[in-house]
Amino acid sequence: MSGAGPREAVFPTRQSLGLMKSKLKGAEIGHSLLKRKSEALTKRFRDITRRIDEAKQKMGRVMQIAAFSLAEVSYAVGGDIGYQIQESAKQARFRVRSKHENVSGVFLPQFESYTKEGVNDFGLTGLGKGGQQIQRCRETYARAVETLVELASLQTAFLVLDEVIKVVNRRVNAIEHVIIPRTENTIKYINSELDELDREEFYRLKKVSNKKQRDTAAADAEILAARQRQAEKDKENGGAAEEPDSVDVLGEQEDTDVIF
Amino acid sequence: MEGLFFNVNGGYVEGIVRGYRNCLLSGQNYSNLTQCETIDDVKLQLAPAYGDFLASLPPNPSTSALAGRMTDKLVSEFRYLIAQATGSTAKFLEYLTYGYMIDNIALLITGTLHERDTRELLERCHPLGWFETLPVLCVATNIEELYNSVLIETPLAPYFKGSLSHQDLDELNIEIVRNTLYKNYLEDFYNFISTHPDFAGTPTQEVMTEILQFEADRRAINITLNSFGTELSKLERRKLYPEFGKLYPEGSLMLSRAEDVEGVALAVSAVGDYKAFFDAVGLSQGGGGGLGGMGGGPADGKSLEDLFYQKEMEMSKLVFTRQFTPAVVYAWMKLKEQEIRNVTWIAECIAQNQKERIGNFISVF
Amino acid sequence: MAASAATYKDRQFLAVIGDEDSVTGLLLAGIGHVTDPPDSQRNFLVVDSKTETSEIERAFENFTQERKDIAVVLINQHIAERIRHSVDTFADPFPAVLEIPSKDHPYDPEKDSVLKRVRRLFGE
Repeated sequence: MSGAGPREAVFPTRQSLGLMKSKLKGAEIGHSLLKRKSEALTKRFRDITRRIDEAKQKMGRVMQIAAFSLAEVSYAVGGDIGYQIQESAKQARFRVRSKHENVSGVFLPQFESYTKEGVNDFGLTGLGKGGQQIQRCRETYARAVETLVELASLQTAFLVLDEVIKVVNRRVNAIEHVIIPRTENTIKYINSELDELDREEFYRLKKVSNKKQRDTAAADAEILAARQRQAEKDKENGGAAEEPDSVDVLGEQEDTDVIF
Repeated sequence: MEGLFFNVNGGYVEGIVRGYRNCLLSGQNYSNLTQCETIDDVKLQLAPAYGDFLASLPPNPSTSALAGRMTDKLVSEFRYLIAQATGSTAKFLEYLTYGYMIDNIALLITGTLHERDTRELLERCHPLGWFETLPVLCVATNIEELYNSVLIETPLAPYFKGSLSHQDLDELNIEIVRNTLYKNYLEDFYNFISTHPDFAGTPTQEVMTEILQFEADRRAINITLNSFGTELSKLERRKLYPEFGKLYPEGSLMLSRAEDVEGVALAVSAVGDYKAFFDAVGLSQGGGGGLGGMGGGPADGKSLEDLFYQKEMEMSKLVFTRQFTPAVVYAWMKLKEQEIRNVTWIAECIAQNQKERIGNFISVF
Repeated sequence: MAASAATYKDRQFLAVIGDEDSVTGLLLAGIGHVTDPPDSQRNFLVVDSKTETSEIERAFENFTQERKDIAVVLINQHIAERIRHSVDTFADPFPAVLEIPSKDHPYDPEKDSVLKRVRRLFGE
C-alpha cells in the first residue's frame, strides 16, 4: 500500500508526518486558489476574445470610412499628396502610453492614445485647395487610429493572458495530479510505517510481560515453599516468626510494582 | 476683326479642341457609370471615350491606375495640341503647363530638402508639368545649389526671382513656396493675356480675365480658410493673395484681416457669386458648422470647394460659346480634369461600396 | 513581468507598413515620426508592387525587435501575407502587431494570425 505511488524521501517519523500533513493542507488551499485564479482569467480571456472579434470587424468598417475620406481628399486636391505627407512627417502627434490593469495578479498592459499638443506637421498642406478635406480626413483617420490602438491593447492583453493562463493551468494540474497524490502517498507511507513500529512495540511488551509473569510465578512458588518450611519450623520451635514475615511483605510489593 | 486672322494660326488647334470637347462624358454617361457594380463595368462604360488607354489595364484595376490612364490620355491630347500650336497660341498653352510645373518643382524641392533620391521622384511628377530641364533638378544635392544653378534655368525662374531666396526655400514651409509661386504665376498669366498684342481686346482676354480672376479669388479664399489654426501669420498670408481679381484690393485686405470664417464671409460679401456660395453652405450666418462638409453642409451636401468647382466648370462650359480664342483649350483642360476627378470618385465609391455618396460629382453637360 | 514593465514604458509610437494610401492616411492622423539626425529613422514604410519582400521583412524586424520605442506595428493585411511566416512566428506581446485592411484589400478575418488563434481556441 505504501509503495503504490511515488512518495517523498522522508524518514517515517511523527515529525515528518506533521510536516506532510501541513504540506497537504497547503497544496489543497493553493490548488483551490489557483483554480479560482485560472477561472477568473479565463472569464476575462473569453471576454477579451469576444471583444477582439468585435473590434476587428469594427476596424474593417472604420478603416473603410477612413480610406473613403482619403478619396475625398484626392478628389478635392486633384492630385497625389502622399509623397508630400511622407516627407513632411517629423514628429508624431499621435502617440500612445502604456498603463496596466491588474486582473487577478496579472498585469495586463493597456495602450492609451494621446495627442501631443503643438505638433502639427501638416498644418499648411492643401493650403491652396483641399485643405478642409484634408483636415476632415485627419480627424477621420485619428479616430480610426484610436480604434486601432484599442484593438492593439486588446490583442496584447490576449497574448499576455493566453500565456498566463497556460502557466496557471499547468500549475493547477501539477498540484492536482502530482503534488497532492505524492503528499498523500507519503502520509500513507509514514502512517503505515508508524503502525508497523507500534505493533512491534506491543508484541515486545507482551513478550516482556509474559516473561515477567513467569518469573514472578516461579518466585511466588519459592516463597510459598519457604513459608511452608518456615511454618513447619515455627510449629516446631514457636515464637520468633515476626522478622522474616515483614521482609517478605516488602519483597512482594516490589514485585507487583515491576509487573504493572 | 480678330476672326479674320485667328484661324491662320490657331484655327486648327481650336477645331481639334472642339472635337475633344465632344468626347467629354455627358450626364447620360455619368448616370450609366453610377449604375456600375465593379470597376470593370466602369472601364467598359468608359471605353467609347477612352478606348485604347484603358485597354492595357488589368482586370479590376485600382482607381489610381484608372485615373492614371485617363490622365495619360489628357496628356497625350494636350501634347498633340501644343505640338500643333504656333506663335501666341503656343505661348498660351505653355502657360497652362506652368501650374503643373509648380507642383513638380515643389515635389522636387521637398525631396532635395530631405535628401531623398530625387530620381525616383521624377516618376511622380505630373507629365504636363514636364520640361526639359526638370531631370537636371535631380542633380542638385542641396538647396543652394538647386536654387543657384538649376532653378534659374527653368521656365519658372521669374516666379522665384524677387519673392523667394534660397534661404526661403530652406526655411519656409513648402506649401508657402508653392503658393507664392502660384500667385506669381497667376499674376504673370493675367498680365500676359491682358497685355499681349494678340490677346488684348480679344475674346481671349475677356474670358480668361474672368476665369483667372475667379481662380485668384478662389485661391485667396481657400488660403484664408485653410490657414486658420496654423502658424501662418496674417502678414505672410497676405503675401500669398494674387494681386488681382474681383476681391482685389478691398476684399483681399479684408481677407487678410479675417480671423474666422465669418470674417471671410464678410470680406467676400461684396461679390455676389461668392456671397451666394457662402450663404449656400451656411457659413455666413451660422459660422463654423459644416465647414469642409462634402455631405456635411446643408446645400445638397456640397461644400464650398464643390461649389467653386461647379462654378469653374460652368465658366469653362461657357467658354465654348466663344470663338477665335485659345481659351477653349484652358476650358477643355479644366473640364477634362474635373472629368477625371469625377470618374475617380465614382470608381472609388464603387470600389469601397459607398454608393450613397456616388452622386457627389460635378457634371455640366 | 517586472522586467518587461520597464521596457514598455518608453514605447510610445506607432509604426506602419502599408501601401501608399494607408500610410498617407495614418500619417495624416499624426503617427509619423522621424528620429533625430544623424541616423534618422522613419517609423513607416511605403510598400508598392516594386518593393522587395526582403525589404518588408527588414522593416518588420526593425520595428518589432530593434526599436524599443514602438508600441504598435500596423501592417496592411495583404503585405502581412507576403511575410506571413515572420508575422506568425512573432508572438511577443510587445510591440503589438496589428493587421489592418487597405483600400483595395478588404479585411479578411480568416488570414489574421491573432484571429486564427482566437478561432482555434474556441474550436471554430
